[in-house]
Amino acid sequence: MNLFRSEEHVERWLAGREAGATVTVATLAELAQAWWGDRLEPTWRPHTREQNQAILAGVGLTDEFWRLP
Amino acid sequence: MVDAADVELRNATYAWFVELGRAPSSAETAERVRSEPAAVRGGWRRLHEAHALVLDDAGELHMANPFSAVPTRHRVRAAGRSWWANCAWDAFGICAALHVDGCVESSCPDCGEAFAVEVRDGRPDDESLVFHCLVPAARWWEDIVFT
Repeated sequence: MNLFRSEEHVERWLAGREAGATVTVATLAELAQAWWGDRLEPTWRPHTREQNQAILAGVGLTDEFWRLP
Repeated sequence: MVDAADVELRNATYAWFVELGRAPSSAETAERVRSEPAAVRGGWRRLHEAHALVLDDAGELHMANPFSAVPTRHRVRAAGRSWWANCAWDAFGICAALHVDGCVESSCPDCGEAFAVEVRDGRPDDESLVFHCLVPAARWWEDIVFT
């Protein structure tokens, strides 16, 4: 899970391998806020699968690639 | 099965990881929480199995997500300290977890160009970059280190 200079850099790096999913860094930052924001809270409890899926959906990551097991 | 004592150990481990800027060993953690190293390793193992942290082959910390115990491509500077992140997502996650502004230092795996992204109020100052996730969500924990 890396940051790239642009989508062209992603394609070159893949070198023919099957691509995963590319999102903007703004979406990534928004996702990180929701996913990790409670990680150091004294009241932290493990997220359920449903909670995590809702976080992904909340930033627009709803397609099959982002479906948790 | 993770119980309340394991969560307490997990919270103490995370707090000390933040304070140190590196992963504490099981022996250091045992001293910190006034326990025995074997008890710490047992609690960490249950947390590992619950995907609450990730251990290495020796039973020491590899990841206290979003923090990494080992150097990576992703470094975060914030609040006068710095930490390694497991991936780009986790790098932003460190600022989110700490609730502070910071700077994410990383580089493009294609061209190697280094960049430093300032994060202010949770938003990056350079929105020209893109994030690529190679592994589908359904398979993240099959090999979380690779993911």
